[in-house]
Amino acid sequence: MSRPSLPFRFSSVPPPDPQTASSRLAPVDMSTATMLSGGRELSQPPSDGISNLRFSSHSDLLLVSSWDRTIRLYDVGENTLKAEFVHAGPVLDCCFHDDSSGFSAGADHSVRRHIFGSGKEDILGHHDAPVRCVEYSYAAGQVITGSWDKTLKCWDPRGANSSDRALIGTYVQPERVYSLSLVGYRLVVATAGRHVNVYDLRNMSQPEQRRESSLKYQTRCVRCYPNGTGRVAMEFFDLSEAAQAKKYAFKCHRKSEAGRDTVYPVNAMAFHPIYGTFATGGCDGYVNYSKYPTSIAALSFNRDGRLLAVASSYTFEEGEIPHEPDAIFVRNVNEVEVKPKPKALPGPPP
Amino acid sequence: MARVSTDQLLQLETTCGSLLYELQIIWDEVGETDTERDKMLLELEQECLEVYRRKVDQANRCRAHLRQAIADSEAELATICSSMGEPPVHTRQVGHCPCWRLKEELNSITPQLEEMRKRKGERLIQFSEVKQQIRNISVEIMATEYHPSRHVVDESDLSIRKLEELCRYLESLQKEKSDRLKQIMDHLSTLNALCSVLGVDFKEIIREIHPSLDDAEASKSVCSATIERLATAIGRLRDIKIERMQKLQDFASTMLELWNLMDTPIEEQQFFQNVACNIAASEEEITEANTLSVNFLSCVSHPTSGLLCLLLVGHMFGWILPIEELCYMQVEAEVLRLEQLKVIKMKELILRKKEELEELGRRAHLVVEAENGAEVAISAIESGAIDACLVLEQIGCQIATVKEEAFSRKDILERVEKWLMACEEEAWMEEYNRDENRYNAGRGAHLTLKRAEKARALVNKIPGIVDTLVAKITQWEKERAIGFTYDGVRLLSMLEKYAIVRQEKEQERKRQRDQKKLQGQLIAEQEALYGSKPSPSKPPSAKKVGSNRRLSLGGAAALQTPKSDYMHSAKSTRSVKMTDDLGTLSPGAKGLDITGLPVKKLSYNNAMTTYQGVQRKPFAPVAPVNSIPLTPSKSLIANALEENKIPNAMLSPTPKTPATAAAVLMHVATTPAPTCLFNEALVKVVSPVDETEYSFEERRLAFYVGGR
Repeated sequence: MSRPSLPFRFSSVPPPDPQTASSRLAPVDMSTATMLSGGRELSQPPSDGISNLRFSSHSDLLLVSSWDRTIRLYDVGENTLKAEFVHAGPVLDCCFHDDSSGFSAGADHSVRRHIFGSGKEDILGHHDAPVRCVEYSYAAGQVITGSWDKTLKCWDPRGANSSDRALIGTYVQPERVYSLSLVGYRLVVATAGRHVNVYDLRNMSQPEQRRESSLKYQTRCVRCYPNGTGRVAMEFFDLSEAAQAKKYAFKCHRKSEAGRDTVYPVNAMAFHPIYGTFATGGCDGYVNYSKYPTSIAALSFNRDGRLLAVASSYTFEEGEIPHEPDAIFVRNVNEVEVKPKPKALPGPPP
Repeated sequence: MARVSTDQLLQLETTCGSLLYELQIIWDEVGETDTERDKMLLELEQECLEVYRRKVDQANRCRAHLRQAIADSEAELATICSSMGEPPVHTRQVGHCPCWRLKEELNSITPQLEEMRKRKGERLIQFSEVKQQIRNISVEIMATEYHPSRHVVDESDLSIRKLEELCRYLESLQKEKSDRLKQIMDHLSTLNALCSVLGVDFKEIIREIHPSLDDAEASKSVCSATIERLATAIGRLRDIKIERMQKLQDFASTMLELWNLMDTPIEEQQFFQNVACNIAASEEEITEANTLSVNFLSCVSHPTSGLLCLLLVGHMFGWILPIEELCYMQVEAEVLRLEQLKVIKMKELILRKKEELEELGRRAHLVVEAENGAEVAISAIESGAIDACLVLEQIGCQIATVKEEAFSRKDILERVEKWLMACEEEAWMEEYNRDENRYNAGRGAHLTLKRAEKARALVNKIPGIVDTLVAKITQWEKERAIGFTYDGVRLLSMLEKYAIVRQEKEQERKRQRDQKKLQGQLIAEQEALYGSKPSPSKPPSAKKVGSNRRLSLGGAAALQTPKSDYMHSAKSTRSVKMTDDLGTLSPGAKGLDITGLPVKKLSYNNAMTTYQGVQRKPFAPVAPVNSIPLTPSKSLIANALEENKIPNAMLSPTPKTPATAAAVLMHVATTPAPTCLFNEALVKVVSPVDETEYSFEERRLAFYVGGR
């Protein structure tokens, strides 16, 4: 009956702090320019906040969903915008099916499939509330969506455009779904109220494990460690105190200023496909010690880990305020940066 | 000279003779009668006699003068001598030879007199000087007792003796003065020390007593009144000091008690160390400056140290007031606040002590008489019926008693623990022995075997343990003449019960053994008659093994079964799982699952049959919230949707829509979760004041919708 335990890394969202607002809105410093020498900024970026971006696992195509109601496909190698779809409302998440199609999660409650070549799109179905996240499982051949209607739905993409055929199942969650992550058949669902459920896609009748975050703040993002051996690492937004910082002592996205600590939400993280190390991005605009103009909304490594796409886009952590324009940077990753250091292994012990 | 005068006399006689001769010639010439002549001569003779007589009188008078002068001088001399206490100069006896004439005598006495007069003058000056000093000192010492008459020099006695006497007197006065000065200095230093301890202005106090005391240059007033006043001031300050000291010591002891009560950390105590160290000091030992000053005592009330210091201030103010005349109202309010604080703290303390008492009792398996717990005490304290300290003391006593009792019970309790543990193992052994597959090699079987081995050894020891325990308890009870209770039950009766149960079990076991033997015989007989048959005690099929073991291991394993079944056989029979699910569903899942389920099932059950999760839902209990009739809800939702003018895509004419919409309604009713896009409800829900947690994206969407 012994099952490998899931090591959690917890972090959470700090309450908005008006006192530090000005410091976060400080103009971009010179380090931006130097950092950008190792990468490039994509042209024709979305006109509003970037909700997610993902590299294809077969090519250097980059799929980007945005609050400007679009979903865009870029060819990073050529720095061109290859396709663009406009929704009725903001797009909260997107993912690839294969290089020719992808899925999107809309604030208009819909789950859609896009055929990039033809510009055609189908509706897989609807939730009862905005759809927060979408994932495609290559193992199960299913699309999994999580919504603020407190449910998880699995869809068969072949049944697109007639939702009764596409929907495989609806699974009630204890709270609004905030983040999903997949590895193999294992699915991790993080919801409001700090719940974390772990499912096996082959048996969705009930969670394999039910857990609760031990941290006091909201869970922003959860990601599985991609070695597929059933070991899962979880990433939450780290706002932890010193003791926890010791326990989960990786990027904390925090700043000590005038004797008080400002701890930023960590919005995104991405695992390196080869080394298993990961990058995190937070509202302080840093990705693993490199400064970007504004908050990091999303991160993605390309298939060989040589490129890292960084969505530098304000994530609304302080409400509607003036902010830097949304931008996508693609950074050339130096191998030294991502190779595991002997002391700080990202994965759990076997 | 005599010769000269003789000559003069001769000349005079010659002149007289010649004059007489001249007269006779004249008379002859004139022809005076002899009678005339005789008359004239008589006249002449008479005149001469007169002159002589006058001269003699004069001489006589002169002699009398001389004699008088001599006598006067002698008398004066004698007076002076006597006044100066010297032997009189006996001029007449010594130098009064008959050959001496009066003038010589006078001449001899005059220088003596002069001499004596001079000496007398000198003596007088000495006397007056001494007298002056005496007068000065006397004035200093007895400001009001100055009698001028006593300080006029008495000339009748100017003797050395008298002078010496006066000098002695002066000396004594000087000594007294210096004594007094010394005394004053002593007093001043004492006063200074007191003032510094009490933090009072020394200069001001001495200036009040006598202004000269403060002046370093001027001579200090040494009169008795000053000394008296100094002494009074010292007495007064000393009284204050003693009073304050006692307060402080009362205080410090209270503080120590409170520290003790509240387990105040050393760091906090350190702050009051200078107060606490004076707790055993006598009045003379407290000499450090400002130790008892009002300022210091206020200092004691350091704000960071919480209640203790506040209490201190409270006590301080109580008696500093009359001295310092602080604003009484403020102080009163402060004291009131402190008292309240104290009551709260006391309540906490009492509760803590109660807990400690209960914990002690629990550990010793003693039933501490509840006596209605701390609530009664606290309400009594609040109403002022009981003094909190008294309650604390009582609890302290109780704790001490319980501790003592716990100590006496320790030995027995340890044995009881051992016994109970052994009993547990015995119970396990029984379970284990009942499991007929216990020798099957399986996962962890070796561990179970090992445990069984140990348990068997332990179980064999039980009778011994019980015997010793009974002996110990009996002895204990005899010593104390009370029953030994364990969590309120008499231990001896527990042991007796145990012994009876054990005996019964023993008998049962024996009976079973006999029966088995009998059965064995029967089988043997049957075998002999009909050939061999499967033994009834043969282990059941492999599938049943698990369930049997589960039974033996109790409920814990049974709880895990559904999960393990899923893990091992994802495709095992669905019906079994379903029932299991119902048993293990979390209450939350139950509550959430039910939303709109009957509707779903009615509308498209065929489409769902492939999905097990949905299929099992109809088994879930139907909550009252779900009992909305199907049709009304449908129409309601349709209305709502029409009103909101939701795009047609969202109203896609699938059979599912009504069902989900019903679910939406349910959400609205129960939790304020966002329901549908571009709906006012959403804005209302996401921006609200309630404490529901929202992510940045939810807030952003609310803003997005609101902006449009």
